[in-house]
Formats: sequence, structure tokens, C-alpha cells
Amino acid sequence: MASKIGVYFDAANIGGGLDIDVLAAGVKAKWGSACPVIKTYAVLADNAADIRTDIQAEGLDGVLIVGPSPREDVEIYRFPVLTERVNLRMHAVLSYEEPDGSHPETGAPATPLLQQIATDYINMGVVKLQKGNLPDSAALEQGVRRILVVGGGFTGLTAASEAASSGYEVVLVEKTDRLGGAVNNIPTGSPLHSPWEDKEATNLKDRIASVQGNPKIKIYMSSTVAKLEGQPGEYNLTIKTPAGEETMQIGSAVVACGWTPLDPKYLESMGLGVSPKVITSAEFGKRFLAGQITERRIAFVLDTTIAENIMAAKEAEEKAAREAAAAAAAEAPAAPAEEGEKPGFVKENLECINHLRYSNAVNAVGMLRLANTVCEKTEDVTQCYVLYKDMVVPGILERFYKKMQDRLGVMMTKADVTSIREEGDHMVVSCENTLLGMDFDLDCDLVVLPTGLVPVSAKEAIMQFQYRQGPEFPDLDLFDGFLDSNYICFPYETRRTGVYAAGCVRQPMTLDGCLLDARGAVLKAIQAIESAEHGVAVHPRSGDATYPVFNFVRCTQCKRCTEECPFGALDDDEKGTPKPNPGRCRRCGTCFGACPERVISFSNYNIDQIGSMIREVEVPKDFKVGGPRILILACENDAYPALDMAAMQGHTWSPYVRIIPVRCLGSVNAIWISDAMSKGYDGVMLLGCKYGDDYQCHFVKGSELCARRKVNIAETLNRLGVQPERVELFELAIDEANRVTDMIDGFVKTIEEMGPNPFKAM
Amino acid sequence: MAKVTLTPDSGFARELMDAGGDSLKKCYQCATCAVACPMAPDNSPYPRKEMVWASWGQKDKLMGDPDIWLCHNCGNCAELCPRGAKPADVMSAARNVVYKNLVGPAKVGEWMSSPKGLPMLFLIPAVLWLVVWAIMANCFAGGEWFPRVDGRIVFGSIFYGDYTIDPLFMITFFGALFLIAKGCVKLWKQFRQTKGKTLVLGPTKPWYIHLVQMLWDEVVTHKKFDDCQTGPRTGQPENSRKFGHICMIIGFASLAVVTAIVAGGHWIGKVIPFLSIHTPMPLYFPVKLLANFGAIVLIVGLVSLTLRRKRQNPKFFSSNYHDWYLLGIIWAVALTGLLSQLFRLADAVHCAFLVYYLHLVFVWMLFAYLPWSKLGHLAYRATALLYVRMYGRG
Repeated sequence: MASKIGVYFDAANIGGGLDIDVLAAGVKAKWGSACPVIKTYAVLADNAADIRTDIQAEGLDGVLIVGPSPREDVEIYRFPVLTERVNLRMHAVLSYEEPDGSHPETGAPATPLLQQIATDYINMGVVKLQKGNLPDSAALEQGVRRILVVGGGFTGLTAASEAASSGYEVVLVEKTDRLGGAVNNIPTGSPLHSPWEDKEATNLKDRIASVQGNPKIKIYMSSTVAKLEGQPGEYNLTIKTPAGEETMQIGSAVVACGWTPLDPKYLESMGLGVSPKVITSAEFGKRFLAGQITERRIAFVLDTTIAENIMAAKEAEEKAAREAAAAAAAEAPAAPAEEGEKPGFVKENLECINHLRYSNAVNAVGMLRLANTVCEKTEDVTQCYVLYKDMVVPGILERFYKKMQDRLGVMMTKADVTSIREEGDHMVVSCENTLLGMDFDLDCDLVVLPTGLVPVSAKEAIMQFQYRQGPEFPDLDLFDGFLDSNYICFPYETRRTGVYAAGCVRQPMTLDGCLLDARGAVLKAIQAIESAEHGVAVHPRSGDATYPVFNFVRCTQCKRCTEECPFGALDDDEKGTPKPNPGRCRRCGTCFGACPERVISFSNYNIDQIGSMIREVEVPKDFKVGGPRILILACENDAYPALDMAAMQGHTWSPYVRIIPVRCLGSVNAIWISDAMSKGYDGVMLLGCKYGDDYQCHFVKGSELCARRKVNIAETLNRLGVQPERVELFELAIDEANRVTDMIDGFVKTIEEMGPNPFKAM
Repeated sequence: MAKVTLTPDSGFARELMDAGGDSLKKCYQCATCAVACPMAPDNSPYPRKEMVWASWGQKDKLMGDPDIWLCHNCGNCAELCPRGAKPADVMSAARNVVYKNLVGPAKVGEWMSSPKGLPMLFLIPAVLWLVVWAIMANCFAGGEWFPRVDGRIVFGSIFYGDYTIDPLFMITFFGALFLIAKGCVKLWKQFRQTKGKTLVLGPTKPWYIHLVQMLWDEVVTHKKFDDCQTGPRTGQPENSRKFGHICMIIGFASLAVVTAIVAGGHWIGKVIPFLSIHTPMPLYFPVKLLANFGAIVLIVGLVSLTLRRKRQNPKFFSSNYHDWYLLGIIWAVALTGLLSQLFRLADAVHCAFLVYYLHLVFVWMLFAYLPWSKLGHLAYRATALLYVRMYGRG
């Protein structure tokens, strides 16, 4: 609740012929003693020290910077008091156009309309400060500096030793009775170091020994996670060990539980499991290590089109059968639902033929490595035929590919493998469309097929979260079971804060990728503990110290917030009262947008605050004289930067709109729409990010949720006699600045044609 | 269903690598080379396909491939190869394998393809001419190994045309010619076998017209060498063989004419004394002038070609044993020829005879081993060029 606000005008970042003295006088006249300091600087960024002095001398508890976009000079305007920015540069001056779409002359004094826009935004800024607070600290006194690593394979071992060498205690949980995982079964590894050319020893024994000998690492063999409850920095973990259950506290977790090979049934059409002369590359590695590879003509088949086509046909058949069954079930009278029984959690098996495709790159690298290894061992007496459809070798491993193929016995061609069959004492592989310019049969003694890497997370609920939203990570089916998230730029993120994925459980990858992943995930895990200790959010609002505060007195236990939270941050008690876990929260405000009773608020972002800002805008009584007013609620992650960029690139928009940034469209509460309508606005634009299959939402489904909620709002508006078309949602990606003018001006035109909001007169 | 059963043969791939195609495994079939090559035809261009055949050890495919003879080795392919392969060298290696295996006896092919066979190759004519020398010295020169005739050095006094040089060289020459012809016929058959029957649409020309046109383009004008230089600019210095190659041809042609006149003069002179030519000829005699002109041009060509090979960037070109053997033997022939004349004029009788003896050895090596040497390309390449012209390729 800022009561003594300093208002600072940055003349260099305003321009546009705006009379700053008039604006300053306006602030003084309207807000009087609430704004004891009003100053104008030619270049404010050079005088930030003056602001600090004023905070000390005048006892200011709020600072309003008027001029540049809040996305600029963030570090310069970071003060110990509540600080707010009024973006006159982009949202008033650069984007200004006359109501008819024309542009004012350069150097001309500002029109009354532009002066009004600036006044509105400044008043909104003052109100925002008055209705905001600095957050109380949610910091833990001391986070548990212990990291759980699930899985003792190559990635898990690396993660464990990296975390330990960073000074954290480690609990390593391995499901089997042997450390090392899949790497136990390969003769040599793909390169891990520059120059990324040759096969490299995996040094598995040393890696295991160093983990086993590290006093900071406690290893649980033949164990799994039985329960994980709490929040980052203070999780309670229960491990199921052969000697019974054991509980302990951990700060965060790295999931590196790797993969299992794809069920051989998927490759039956290529002879796997049918002929003993057909094996997978994983099996080949094992046999090679056991010295059992004596075959002299070996076909490495990377093209799995045969199996993929057959599985696609099968899936189509199954789908048709399912649909028929569903249709039949719809006609039959519905069985009475069982009452009282809550259905228990059943893990769906997400294993599918796609896992073979996803593993293509790993198999390409692996087969090159195996073919080269066996040729090297036999001094090229063995001939290895590598038959590929796509030779996908990721990144710098191109150099490895170069080196591996440069071996007399390694013969490679792109080929459509059309059949694999047994003839006499050997196998025959039929190839078409080859680089040799002809179709041919290849006689060979052994056929090696790729290994599908199925993430363990596709088959098991690994972490057993004791969360309101269930024991599993959400929406794994979107990623065919891979422990991935929507954060395409932030690879280790999952949708459970404090738990990070690394290695092949996240995506099929080669050893160098596993190494990087392990390190990256450990850094994230450490960051999660540190953030909990500081009481701030982790990604993507890193460093945000605010958190949702619940006014439980008014809570009706409707459970919307606990169900809609994209990160499962909220638990609840038996009655359904939400139990917030600030450590798990990412501060998106989805709960706050969902709450019909408006009991949730952030210290610097709350219902009343945004509502007051909406009401602070001058709405002309007469639509015909003063023009309409349109409120834009813009997602601050994508739409707001797009608006800034649009203005910077010279795109302009109607002078009748007023923009308020929101944390996420998921945090838009329906009350704001009513506020705007009753204030007399003629329309509301909701600008959010793209949703659907290629969604870009930082908070998973904010704009999608908003679109769904809009349907309810439309019903309400209809009942009140307001056309629901007055409220519209638009998807605006961060790179779509060029669409801004058409989007806004088009909507304003629609509203002008619709006429004034019927509430305006009241 | 594919019917052909492919027989990959790493042994043949190894043979190619040993014959100068050591980079063949580096290829990843991007076909940059086939695009970079200024000579490759639009349909089924080379050398991309040759690289994959080489990698899979497809001997029949490569041996019956006329395209390996179309390459004039400008090296664009190697310079632009993203993988550091040298396709032109692989093609050259494939040609070397043809030289080695096209005609028998197989042993000579083997001797010709590595320095290990060199002593044997040298020993055969060395013994032959030594025997001749011994017989002639004892039977006709009264035991004098380094005789003078009227105070002059006359090589014919030992290496007498009628009974020694001419019959032996004629047998050698026509024998080699026969083997080369046999090789060409075999090569032609191989082309037909791998390419299958080709249907040529539109007007066709008889083979002799093609032959004349081919000789004009390839030999007289050396046009193809210019084409070779019109490929994409690679930043490497221009490295033309045209000058050196033309010099060699002119040199050889002159010397062939001289040989023909001398031999003709000698034999026809027996019937029509008026036309008889006696060696040694005086230095101002036109035939002698032509001979010395030929020798000098040959040496200029040799210097040019040798320097060129020496200056080549080994990243993009390598010179294999066949290349050096041919250059070496021509150097030896030219130098010993010139030196023997100089020693003769200087009246250094021992040196003159010894060097002349070596000259005979090297000339014999040049001709006798022609079907297995790189020089065989003058017949084999011509065959391939004629073939592709007749079947609308190239």
C-alpha cells in the first residue's frame, strides 16, 4: 500500500510532443500528498541515484517511472520499495495514431487524445502502486541440501558425483542390483570429448567406484521411490528398500531412470524373435562383449518402415474397434456409476512404435559404433552392411560418423529394406532404392535391428508424488511417455517443481548428451533448493518473491484452483481447503484466475488492484464524441513484448485502447471483465499466446484456460444484455509484431460498428 | 522383389585403396562431386556412383564402367568434397586396376602395380640386351665391347638393326599392340555387359566419324582439358596439364615419325638404295633435327608434368605408383636418349655405349609393358571415349 509515491518522468523516453509539465501538474492536482515527489529528468537512467536519495530523504514507499518500457533498464530501476513502470514510450507515443488511422506530424505538439492516453496510464500506475505491497518472505530458514537421484545408470552416476562435488548430499536410488544400467552392455561408447571423433571408453568401473567411494553419496540398491511429499527444499521422501521402507528429507530430485528396450513384438515383422539370426543392437552389444559374435556378414538395418507400416495398420484397426465399441456403449444404457469409491491411480502403458522412431539418432550412432568395433576386432574380415533410411547423427557427432565409416569392412547405403527372410543357413535382406543404383538382395549371417528406447516413465510412475493431482507427472501422453515438459528452451524442466529429468528418460540421447543432461539437471536441482531458501520462484518467473496468498475465510472449497494449477502446487485437506506450497508454485496466477470467490491474491498483483486500474481510465460519456474505450489485458510473456516490438518497428494502433499487462491469461479473473463493462468500456481484448498443439504458454495452458472461461463470461454478458462479441481472445505470438495493428484496429472497428456499451449511460 | 544378389567384396575395395584410392571410405554420398565435375553428363553423372561401388567392392560394376575413363582428373571433386575424399583418385585407382587385370599374363600386371616388381621388369630387357651385346661384341666386333668404326662411335656396330634391334623391337611392339587391341575388345565387351543393350534414338553416326571427332576433341585440340578448368572456382591455383600433356604428345609423335623414317629408310633402302638412310645421321639432317626437337619438347613436357605433380596439394590429389612409373620411365628414355647422343658426340665411348644400352632397356620397358602401364590409357581411354560417344553419353 504505497502512500508516498515518487513520480519520475524520463523526458528522453517520452517525446511525441507530450507536455510533461501538464502531466506533472495533473498528477499533483489529482493525487496531492499521495505523490510528494514529482520530478522530470532529461535522461532518468543517469539519475537513478537521485531516486535512491529521495527514497531515503522523503521516506518514499513507492516509485513510479514514467517513460520507457518496463522491459528496458530493469537493473537500473531496482529499488527497495515498490516500483512500477508506465510505458508511455511504446504504448502512448510510438504507437499513437489518430482515430482515422493517420499519423500526426513529426514535431507537432501532442493532441488532446494523446495527452489523455498518457494521463490515463500515469493514473493507472499510481493506483497500481497504491493497491500493491512488497511481499512477505516465504523463504525457508534452511533448505535440505540433499539431492535425490533416481537411477544408477550413466546419467544417474554422473548426476550423483556432480551434485556431491558441488557440496550437496546425494541419495542414489537404483531399481536393480547393479549400477551402470545400459552402459554395462556396450563394448565402447560414443565420444565424450573433443575432437568427438573416435570411440571412447566409458570408464564405467571408475565412475561406479568413485560414486561408491564418495562419503556424500548414499546408495540404495534394488530400491524404488515409494512416496514423495512436500515441496522443494523440504521434501519428505520414502524409499522402498529390500530391508523395508526408509524415510528422509531431500531438497530436490533428478530423475535419470533411463529406458527399457521396446517390446520385440513391434519388430516381429522384421524377423525379431522369429529367427535367431535377427537381434537388436542392444543384444548385439551384449553378445559382442561375451565374445559370441562370429558371423562374418552382418546387416545393420536402420530402416524400420516395414514394422512401422504394420504397426500403423494395427493401430488403425484397434482404433476402429475402439470407436465401434464406444458407439455400442453409447447406445446401451449407462451402467450406474459406483458411488463413494474413488478410482485408484492406474498407470497407463505408453510404450508404442513411435519410440523406435524417436531412437533413430541414437541407433544410427550406436550401429556405426558397433559396425566399426566388430570390423576393427576382426581386421575387416567381417563385412558390416549399414542399411539406413535416414542417417541421423546429431550435432558434432558428425565427426564420429566420418571416422566410423572410414573402415574397410563398413559398407553403407541408403535403402528401403523391403523384406528380411531366412533362406537356408543365412538371412536375406531385400533392398530397394539404394545408392548403388539398383535393387538387390543381400546375403548375411546376422541381422541387427535398432533398439527402441522406451523411457521408464512410459511404464511406471517413478516419483509417486503425494500430490492432490496424483502420483504421476501430468500429460506424459503428449510426449509418448518421455519425461519432457512444454519448456522447449529449458530441457530439464518437468511440470513438478524441484524435480528435473535427465538422460534417456527425457529423450533418447547418446552418452555425451547424458553427461550434459546430468550436469544441467543437477544445476537446476541446486537452484531449486537455493530458490526455496530465498523464497523465490524458479523458472520461468525466476526470482519472483511474491506467492499466492489465500483468504480462507471466504473459500468455498470448490477445488477449482487445486485442479487447474498446471504445476500441481496446491494440495488440499479432506474438506477440500487448498493447502498452498509456495516452493512448488511458479507464480502464474492460474489459481487466482480460476477462483470465483476471489480469495487468492499476490502482494503486487491482486483482483482489487487490477480492477482499480481498469476503473481509473477516463471513459467518455458520449461514444460519438470521445470515441469508444477498449481494455486490453495482455499476457506479459508473449503479447506484451510483441506490442513493444510493434511500437518500436513503427506499427501504430487506435488511441482508444488501454493496455494492462497480466501474468498469464490464465490469471485473468472474470470480475475484471465485469469491472470494465460496468465502467463503460465498449470492449475487452484478451491478448494471449498461441495454444493448441504448438502451444507457447509459459504456464502450459493459460490462454487455453482463458478461452474456456470466456465461454462462461459470454453467457453472463448475454444475460445482462451485452453482446458477448465485445469480449474477444486473440492469440499473439512474441514474433508477430506485424499483426498488432490489424488485430487492434480491426477489433476497434468492430466495436465502433456495434455501438456503445449499453451500460455506459448508467 | 529384388532379384540380383549383391556380393560385397572388401577385398576389391582394398585393392582399389592400394592402387591409389585410399580415400574411398570417406564418401557419404552427398554427390557434391558429381555436381562439381565439369565433365560429368547430366544423366547418371559420376563420380558419386563410382564411390559407392568402390566402397561396396563392386568389381564388375567398376571394371565395366566407361565413366572412369571420362575423368580428366582436374580435382574439383576433391577440393569441394565435404568429407575429404578424393573421388578423382578413386577413379584413377579403378583405372589402375584395369591396367593390372585387363590382359595377361597376370604376373606382369602384378609387377607393374608396385615398386616391388620393378627389379624384375628391369631385369628382363637388361638381360636381353646384354645377351645381344655379348653376342654382337664377340661375333662381329672381335671381342671388342666398346668398338669404334672408322674412329667414330656407331651404336649400330653393336646394336645392329637388321638382326637385333629391329626384329626384337618389332616383336615387342606388335606383341604389345596385339595385347592392347585384345584389351580394348575386352573392355568394350565389359562396357556392353554392365550397361546392357543401349537403344540409341535419333540419327546415329558411323563409328569412324565418332573416332575422328573424338581424336580431334581429345588429342589434337585437347579441348577436354579446358573443360576440366571450367568447373567451379575452388580457390586452388589453376593446375592445368594441357601444356605438359600436349608437349608429351608432340614429343612422342615426332620421335615415332623419326623411328618410322629411320626404320623405313633402312629397310626400304635395301631395295631402293636411293632412299636409304644411314645412322648416325648428321646433326643438320632434317630427320635428326626432328628427333632432337622431339626429344627437347618431350623433356619440356616432362618437366612441366613432373613439377605439376610435385606442386599438387596432397589434400586433394595424390600421385600413385602408376603415375610415377610412367613419368619415370619416360624421363629415363628421354635422358638416356639425349645423353647417349651427347656422349657419342663427345666421343666418350664407354659412357656412350653404356647409356645407349640403358636407353634400349628403358625403351623396351616403355613399349613391352604398355598394356599394363598408365600409358595404355591412350588406347583404353580412346576405346571408352568412342564407346560413350556412340551411345550418346559424354
